[in-house]
Amino acid sequence: MSDVQRTRLERAIARALRDERISRRRFLRQAGRGGLYAGGALSLPAILAACGIGPSGSPAAGASGAQATATPSPVGGGEPSGTLIFANWELYIDPGAGDDPQKSPTLAAFKDEIGVDTTYTENILDNQSFFATIQPDLEAGNPTGYDIIVMTDWMIGNMIRLGYLERMDVARDVPNFLANAADKYKDPSYDPSNLHSVPWQSGITGIAYNPALVDEEITSMAQLLDPAMIEKYSGQIGMFTEMRDSMSFALLHNGVNPEEATLADAEAARDTLLAQAPHVRDYYGNEYTDPFTRENLAITMAWSGDVFQMKFDNPDLQFVVPEEGAVLWVDNMCIPKGAEHPNDALAMMDYVYRPEVAAQMTEWINYICPVPAAQDIIRQHAAEAESAEDREYLEAVAESELVFPTEDMLSRLHSYKVLDEEEERQWNELFDEVRQG
Amino acid sequence: MSGWLRRHRGLIPYLFLLPGGLWLIVFFLVPIVTMASVALQEGSLGTGYRLTFNFGIFPEAIARSDTQLIRSLLFGLIVTALALLIGYPMAYTIAFRGGRYKSILLLLVILPFFTSFIIRTISWQFILADNGFLLGTLKGFGWLDERFRLLATPIAVISGITYNFLPFVVLPLYVALEKIDHRLIEAATDLYASRLQAFLRVTLPLSLPGVFAASLLSFIPAVGDYINAELLGSRNETMIGNVIQGLYLVNNDYPRASALSLILMVGILISVFIYIRVLRGQELTV
Repeated sequence: MSDVQRTRLERAIARALRDERISRRRFLRQAGRGGLYAGGALSLPAILAACGIGPSGSPAAGASGAQATATPSPVGGGEPSGTLIFANWELYIDPGAGDDPQKSPTLAAFKDEIGVDTTYTENILDNQSFFATIQPDLEAGNPTGYDIIVMTDWMIGNMIRLGYLERMDVARDVPNFLANAADKYKDPSYDPSNLHSVPWQSGITGIAYNPALVDEEITSMAQLLDPAMIEKYSGQIGMFTEMRDSMSFALLHNGVNPEEATLADAEAARDTLLAQAPHVRDYYGNEYTDPFTRENLAITMAWSGDVFQMKFDNPDLQFVVPEEGAVLWVDNMCIPKGAEHPNDALAMMDYVYRPEVAAQMTEWINYICPVPAAQDIIRQHAAEAESAEDREYLEAVAESELVFPTEDMLSRLHSYKVLDEEEERQWNELFDEVRQG
Repeated sequence: MSGWLRRHRGLIPYLFLLPGGLWLIVFFLVPIVTMASVALQEGSLGTGYRLTFNFGIFPEAIARSDTQLIRSLLFGLIVTALALLIGYPMAYTIAFRGGRYKSILLLLVILPFFTSFIIRTISWQFILADNGFLLGTLKGFGWLDERFRLLATPIAVISGITYNFLPFVVLPLYVALEKIDHRLIEAATDLYASRLQAFLRVTLPLSLPGVFAASLLSFIPAVGDYINAELLGSRNETMIGNVIQGLYLVNNDYPRASALSLILMVGILISVFIYIRVLRGQELTV
């Protein structure tokens, strides 16, 4: 299990390389985006006169758009072809030899049992930039080259609206989901009746703090916004650069359920965050774990699975689901429009909802497992563990509230608001005022 | 073919210009025109963009990001000045005192390029961490306040950019200084100039083309840089590059992002123009 306990430096280097990939991706992406109008761009008059970027998902934009309005029939119902191309986030599956996710025991077992050979890539760094890389293909009605991609709930909502996802029949093709998933994950607001997606893993955006640097016990968001507190910990407070996370945080503090927030609520949330901003060290993405473990940050917004892993380096670190509530985000598997191997994709979705498979993955991933039955299996693995170290680790996973949240915790969790395009622009601009001094 | 060329001898220079010209058209002119076109469009990803010649976007974009624009130009100026102050003595020493170690010293200047720009900047996060190698030691001796920090301050961002662009300053300065005929300096001292006078009146003016090239090579990328502000800074160090990046990739606000990119280009051109006017009368090309 030492895989999990990567050293700080290794993690920083992994992040550094990932940032490198982001910048390359951004470059490629802009090249791809350019392609949308470069067709006209090669003749100068065409640019000056005609150039406009076609609307996404409109009938004029191609087959994908046309299908968004008609009710398409679900894909699947056939035999797997033997090939599956899977795009996921990094560190999001149990890896095999040499920390190689392609050699994952789960994927090997999937091949042995179902006979499908999976090409697994960790191409997804964040929702927006990955979406940007596949959007031109989806818009043109071309296959993206992926059969399963994993996207966060609000992006699933966006992609459904744009007609970019294949419809599925979970009752027919993913029966294990209906049998084994926790009720909280069925029929979500971003994808009613799970017509397009089933969860991969989920997590909570809450607060983490380092008791070595903080005198008080942190239990609420109010403490992160209280003038005396932020003055005291000025420059040691971290917030998230992801608009939905930070805005939902302020909304919950203001007593608003983020799912039902109005523009006026969002403006009030901006004001709440602006009052705090002078004392915030920075607005972080994935990399917030570095300043936090290096003790540059005393209190920070945090994702539950990260804190579970950071606790192996420093058991004193605390994760809190604030009294005011928090957001439970869900990363979902879905089939992009025009995928070439939908039957294999559905077979994979069904496979990972077997409790023993879910347990095997959760033992490594440490985020919230959508299959409650996995908890007993992990307990059993702990009892059978050969070394004391492994037993201790597996018990920690099985009994952790960050992996299997209690009812009390779940009752305080909300989702992100599903924003339409205009709202998303308005909210982004409000949050830019906070994030950019 | 050769007969045809002989008859149209006047076309030969244009033929030589063709590859470079095509390159400029495809990779400079077309993107610029496209960007200008996008800046003047209105709409969104969902509804599509239409060219409406919305020139109002330019004052709007400036008004909403004036702080970051001014900050970027200011950081660019400070970085250029610092890089020249640090780089000139380096280049001078290598050119005049390097002796047989010249090539090794030059290699050392270029060596950081063997590692990715991003990794080098990330390593600054380690060096400057609040309780890291540097500050942790100083705080341990009680020489600094416990809460003192460098990360997430303008000092960290400016130092980071200066460090990253220093080689671009040293190399052109070295080339300019290396070309100076030592006998001119000897002649100056023979004519009773002190070493300082010889430097100020002979060496420095002769190296001005290098100073000019070095300033442009640090100022222009420094103003547009966003990596250092992102990795070493905080909201109070947000530069125009970060704003443009966010508008393109997070907000999908292509018109405003394109408008800001154009404004940045014009801003840099104006600064460079002023700079040329100031140095007017000097031979600026090597």
